[in-house]
Amino acid sequence: MSDPIYTEIIIDEAKNAHNVGKLENPDISQHDANPMCGDTITLQMNVADNTISDIKWHGEGCTICKACTSVLTQMIKGKDLEYAKNLKKEEILSELGLEHLIKQSPVRIKCALLSLKTLKLGLYSYLAKKIENSSSFDGLKEEASKLY
Amino acid sequence: MQSSISLENIQKDFPILQRTVREGKPLVYLDNASTTQKPIQVIDAITDYYTNHNANIHRAVYALAEEATAAYESTRDKVAKFLNIKNREEIIFVRGTTEGINLVAYSWGRKNISEGDIIVTTEYEHHSNIVPWQLLAKEKGAKIEYIGVDDNGELLLDQLDSYLETGKVKLVAFSQMSNVLGTITNTEEIINKCKKAGIKTLIDGAQSVPHMKVDLEKLDCDFFAFSAHKMLGPTGVGILWVRKDVLETMDPFHGGGDMIREVHKYETTWNDLPYKFEAGTPNIADVIGFAAAIDYLTAIGMDTIRNHEIDLTKYALEKMSKVKGIKIYGVKDILKRGGVISFNFHDVHPHDVATIVDRDGISIRSGHHCAQVLMERLEVAATNRASFYIYNTKHDVDKLIKSLEKVAELFKL
Repeated sequence: MSDPIYTEIIIDEAKNAHNVGKLENPDISQHDANPMCGDTITLQMNVADNTISDIKWHGEGCTICKACTSVLTQMIKGKDLEYAKNLKKEEILSELGLEHLIKQSPVRIKCALLSLKTLKLGLYSYLAKKIENSSSFDGLKEEASKLY
Repeated sequence: MQSSISLENIQKDFPILQRTVREGKPLVYLDNASTTQKPIQVIDAITDYYTNHNANIHRAVYALAEEATAAYESTRDKVAKFLNIKNREEIIFVRGTTEGINLVAYSWGRKNISEGDIIVTTEYEHHSNIVPWQLLAKEKGAKIEYIGVDDNGELLLDQLDSYLETGKVKLVAFSQMSNVLGTITNTEEIINKCKKAGIKTLIDGAQSVPHMKVDLEKLDCDFFAFSAHKMLGPTGVGILWVRKDVLETMDPFHGGGDMIREVHKYETTWNDLPYKFEAGTPNIADVIGFAAAIDYLTAIGMDTIRNHEIDLTKYALEKMSKVKGIKIYGVKDILKRGGVISFNFHDVHPHDVATIVDRDGISIRSGHHCAQVLMERLEVAATNRASFYIYNTKHDVDKLIKSLEKVAELFKL
C-alpha cells in the first residue's frame, strides 16, 4: 500500500528517531507546543566554538513531527550556528519527501515544522542573550514566530 | 414544520452529505461532537430571513421589523418548550456555550465569589468550563477544585462530598456529557447534593441537549448553557438559561443598546429580563435558523435520536474493539454514554490516524478536544474521536473500521 505521507522512510524515521533524550546542563534548552493539537517538544543543545556539539530532543508528537525532528537534529549536529540559523523548511521537508505538505496541508505542515520553530526560538534566545541586546531579541523572536 | 420525520433516508435533507471529498470519496462525517451539519430546513430559514424579512429587532415599528422581531422571539418560545422551561425571560441568547459560561462567571461570579471561596468543576470539562473559572478565581483569590475521573471514565462523586464539607464551595460547574469520553454525568445526584448544601450549580449542556431529552424544570439547576451548532443549528448562537431568582440578582454582562431602559449622562437603568443581558444587535438570522433546527429535532423526537445513537455506538464499540492495536476510552455501559468514542492506537499519534482516514473521506477529530486536563488524567497528549448524529449509519461505521484497519496495517501493529 503506497501512501503520500506515510512512507516506509517516514514511519521508520519516527519509530527509530535519532537524538532522542535529554542533555545535562545544556547551553540551549527550548520548549514549544502546537496549541492546536497539543504536541510538545523540547530541544536541547550544547554549543562549543560556535558549533552545535551535541543535540537531544524529547516530547510528544505525531509521526510527521517525530520524523522531521529526527532529521533536523541530524542535519545540524556538528554544524555551526550560522548554518542552523539559516536552515530552511524546504531543506528538512525534502529530506523526507514532504515538500507537498506546504501547499497541500496547512494543518499538517505545522506538525512538520514544530521542531524548526523550536530550534529557531532556542537559537535566537541564545544569541540574543550573548549580545545582551533585548530589543534585537524581540525582533528575532518575532521573526521566529512568523516561521509558519 | 413537519409533524414527524423518520431517520430512514434522512441524509437527503443534508446537502453537504451529498458531496464528495478527497478525489471523489463520499463524505462520512463523524465529528458531530465538534459541530453538526445543517439540514436544508435550517439553511432555508436563514436564506428566507435575509431574502424576505431582514430588519433590526425590538425597536422599529415598520412591517419588516415586526416580522423579524416575531421570528426572533418565537425561537425563545421554542427553546422554552424544547427544554420544559416555564419562564421565557430566563432564556438569554448568547454566541454559544462558551459565552454563556463567561457571562455567568462575569455577572454572577464577580458579585458572589470572594477570597477563599471554592469553585468545583470536573476533570472531564471542556476548556470553556475551566478557563472562565480560573480567570475569576485569579481575580478574587478563590480556589478551583476538580472532581476526578475514574479509570472507567466516570466521575468520582465522593470527592464532591469532601469539597462540600469544607463549607467554602460557592458553585459546582460540570458538563452533562463529556465531549471526549461521552460519559453521561449523574447530573441529578450532583444537583441534589448541592441543593442540600445550598450551593449553586452550572451545567454545560453542549453535548447533552443535542442527543437526549433534557428537562430543565425537573433538573432544577441554577445555570444551564448550550450551543445551537451542535444540534443542527447555525454557529454563533447559544442559550444561557438562568433561574429567575438568580438572574434577577445579576449585573449586566455587556453594556450597550437594547439592554437599557433609560440612559442619561451619568446613570442608566436596565431593561427587563432577558433583554438586560442581550446588548447590541443580536445574531438575528441565526437565532431564526436555530428555530428550524429545534423543529427538525422535535419532529424526529429526542428519544428516537438517543435510541439511534445507542444502537450505533454499541455497533461501533463492538467492531472497533476488534481492530488491531486499538485502545478505546470511556465507560463500557452503553446506557451511561453518548455517541462519542475516543480511541488511540498503540504508538500511532492521533493526527496520523485522522490524516489516513481522511483520505477515505472520513472526518474524525484528533487532538486534545479542548480538554487538556482530561488528557493529563488519561496520560495522553491527544486522542482520536468519532462522534455520531442522526444522519450516521452502520454503513458509516463499517467504512471507519475498514479505514482504521489500514492504519494498523500501515504501521505494522
